[in-house]
This record gives sequence, C-alpha cells and structure tokens, in this order.
Amino acid sequence: MNALQPLRTATGSTRGASITAHNLTKVYGSGPSAFHALGPIDLDIAPGEFVSLIGPSGCGKSTTMLLVSGLEPVSDGSVAVDGRPLTAPISEVGIVFQDHLLLEFRTAMNNVMLQQQIRGLGRAEMRARADALFERLGLTGAEDRYPWQLSGGMRQRVSIARALVHDPTMLLMDEPFGALDAISRTQIRHDLEMLWMETKKTVLFITHSIEEAVGLSDRVLVMSTSPGRIVEEIRIDLPRPRPAHLGEYPEFSTYARRIFDIFEKLGVYRFK
Amino acid sequence: MIAAAARTGRAVLEPALWFAGLLVIWEGVVRLGEVPSFLLPAPSDFLARIAEDHARLAYHGAQTTKMIVYGFIAGAVPGLVLGYMIARWRLCEQLLYPLVVFIQGLPKITLAPLMLVWFGFSDFPKILLTALITFFPILVDAVAGFRSVDRRHYYLTRSTGASWWQTFRFIELPTAAPAIFSGFKITIVVAVTVVIVVEWLNSNNGLGYLVLRAMDSSDTTLIFAVLVVGSTIGVVLSYAVALAERWFLPWRRR
Repeated sequence: MNALQPLRTATGSTRGASITAHNLTKVYGSGPSAFHALGPIDLDIAPGEFVSLIGPSGCGKSTTMLLVSGLEPVSDGSVAVDGRPLTAPISEVGIVFQDHLLLEFRTAMNNVMLQQQIRGLGRAEMRARADALFERLGLTGAEDRYPWQLSGGMRQRVSIARALVHDPTMLLMDEPFGALDAISRTQIRHDLEMLWMETKKTVLFITHSIEEAVGLSDRVLVMSTSPGRIVEEIRIDLPRPRPAHLGEYPEFSTYARRIFDIFEKLGVYRFK
Repeated sequence: MIAAAARTGRAVLEPALWFAGLLVIWEGVVRLGEVPSFLLPAPSDFLARIAEDHARLAYHGAQTTKMIVYGFIAGAVPGLVLGYMIARWRLCEQLLYPLVVFIQGLPKITLAPLMLVWFGFSDFPKILLTALITFFPILVDAVAGFRSVDRRHYYLTRSTGASWWQTFRFIELPTAAPAIFSGFKITIVVAVTVVIVVEWLNSNNGLGYLVLRAMDSSDTTLIFAVLVVGSTIGVVLSYAVALAERWFLPWRRR
C-alpha cells in the first residue's frame, strides 16, 4: 500500500469534542397543534466517541442532531459542546445528510472547497486536506467531475469529505448511507470507520440499520417514538476495524438480537 | 470536437435550407400567380427593399432594439429582486404578492394611449410598458428558482457561518439561475412584440412607427421588410440570452 499523506496538517488536527445534553426537549408549534418531537433525553458523549442513535421513523433522531448542532433551538433543556453551552449554530461541525446535498453547479472538489471559501481558511492548506480526504475516500480522479457525473456512493463520499475538510470537532450524520445500495454501503461503512479511527472525531450517527449501528459504534442508543426517548444504551465491545462481514463475530448477532428484541417490545415490529 | 462542430453545423443548416425552400415556393407562387405586391410582395421584392432602405431600417431597428433592452432590464431587475424577497421572506410574500398579481391582471397594453397623454412621444412609455409586461414572468421564474434551494442547504451554510451575501452568491443565486434564464429566454421575445406594438400606438420612431407609415401609403413591401428586421432582432436577442446562459451556467453544458 502506498504511503498516505497525513490528514493532520499544520492546523494541528482537532480531536473530537464532548457533547452533553440534559433534559433535551423539542416541541414543534404551540397550543393544541403542538407536536412533542423529542425528549426529555440526556446525552453524554465522550470526545472521539462513535455513538449511534437508532430507532423507528419519527423518534426524534434527526431532531436530536439539529439540536446538538445548534441549528434548531431547544424547547427545554440544554446542550454543551466541550463544556460550552450552545446558544447559536456551532461551526466546528461537519454534517452529512441522507441526500448528498452537493451543489450541482460545482465540481466534486469545488463542493468540498466551498467550506474553505466561506470560512476564509487558507486555500493551499485546505486543498492539501481535501486531497488527502479524496485519497482516503477513493475519490482521486473525481475532483473535476460534477455531481451528475458521479455514482450515488461517490456523491456521498464527496459530502463526507466536505463535512471533514475544515477539521471539525464533531461529525453529525443523518442516515448517511440510507439511499445507497447494499454493496456501496458496506464499502463506505468500512471507509468511514478507517477515517474515524485516524481522526478520532466525535461522531453522532443516526441510522435505521442495526447492522450499521453495531458495525460502527462504540455505543448504540436505542430510541422509541412519540415522544422520542432513549430506551436503552448498548455498549459495543468489538475489536476494530470491524470486518465487512460482521457475521464473523458471534457477538454481533447477540447485539443485533438485543436491539431487535427492544424494537419488538416497543411494537416497532409486529410479527404474527 | 469535429463531431460536435458537424452537429452544430447541421443544426444551423437544416432549418436554413427549410427556410430557403419556403422562400423559393413563395417567390414562385407570387410570380406565377401575378399577385399584386400591395397584397403580398415576393421575397425578392422586400429583400431588395431592405438593401435599398437599409439606412432608415437600421435607424428605426436600432431605436427598437434599444427600447427592448432597456425595457427588459427595467422589468428584469425588480422582477429578480422582488422574486428573491418573496421566495425568501414570508412577510414579503404576504405584502407583495397581491400587488404583483394585480399588476399581472391588468391589461397593460391599454395603458399605452394613457401614457401618450401623460408622457407624449417619449421613450419612457415604451420602457415602462415593456418593463411592466416582462416583470411578471421573470418574477414568477425567480420565485420558483429561489424556492428550489433545499432548506437543508441553509443548515449547511449556517453551520459554516456563511454571511447573507455568501449564502446568496454561493448557493441561492446559482441554484436559481437555470429557472431565471428560462424566464429570460421567454420574456426577451415578448419584449420585442411589446415595443413594436407601443411604437405603433404612440411614437415617432422605431419599427412599429415605420409599419404605421407603411400602412398609410399601402407600402406592403416595407411592412414585410420591417417584419424581417424585427424577427432578426428577436432571434439575435434570444440567441444572446442563450449565449449568456452558456457563459454563466457552464455546468449545464451536457
């Protein structure tokens, strides 16, 4: 394997931030039409930890992400990042949504470098970081292609590079692989794990997939619906990097079974 | 490269040949049927007339073109600004939309005689009427364009700490640009008609005025000559808009 450029450049790469939340609650609207979307929930995420939120649709997973990044105001409770209470959107964050949300009028590299343009960071330095990320994510050669010229998996890789190029302290991912085919999903999951092991960003990973949650996380928080609450916390003690074929670990099926059982108990699944 | 050039060549050549064929048939029918020229002049007649009267046609054509461009800009600028405001802020939508719909409902061309009373034979009525008529379609397309920005892009820009200007320049404007240009392409052709009609109603220059004079003297050949010049202006202007689109939106060259 050829030598990789180090991701940590002169910026002195930032480690992950801690995320704490107490009584985090979100209610949309007011009066009789108010919708209680989330909480109250508590979160205590250590710096560099990989935490997944898993639960059925409408359990407030995405809302949690928006509250933790300060993009939506909390209805009650508080969020602190690295001990600092959050009052406005924080910028030391990278966000990946289910849709790639790349700008169709910018090439892959220019989509990533938009971060540099808006933030006014050093161009050469950011370009070096972007190049290193492209290499890690298997995007070398795709720099000058427009999003419509890329496959779904590659677009999502570009959006991961965009979320990491400015060296954030945390990475928020809202079902990032939800729209990908099974083969791309396995590969990109592995690539993300390798990237995380190298950079140790704090990751809040939102997913519907038990396999992704167990395959990637240090800790899985299982949520229930209306209002969204955390019903169980499961620590995943599996060595890293985890194999593409998780079935190799007998523990994997034990963890998966536990989450599955919780879903069944919650009525997410109703089997006859 | 050669294949592309050949394709462009064909795209120009084919309609040109069709057009030429049509003119030949026209010429033949007029000559063989001995149609009087005040009813239907032969293509050779009015093409010769263009060459003969080129100074006058060029002067009035230039006047008309100037009015089209001014009127179009005078309609496009407020159309884009208000379009952005309506798309972006609910309050603006509530305040401005009823007014905009009212303007759209107005049969604006009927204002032309009124403007003759108010402003006389000046350029102002032509510019104002063209602006009023081009304003609405441009506004509608601008609203649609600016609304097509995915709201999650605002999450991304806000977490990047982007300023209003950066959000506008990097995200909103380029996202809306294709819709805006499609509005431009339709409206520029409408503007040609509007200016000529207003010139016809109240003016002492421009192609519309020339048509009026030609009618006074049953000079059908001149009317056809004006028609050729007028449609040439329309074609050239819409081609200019298409060129501008290719220049500003290079990513659309698929």
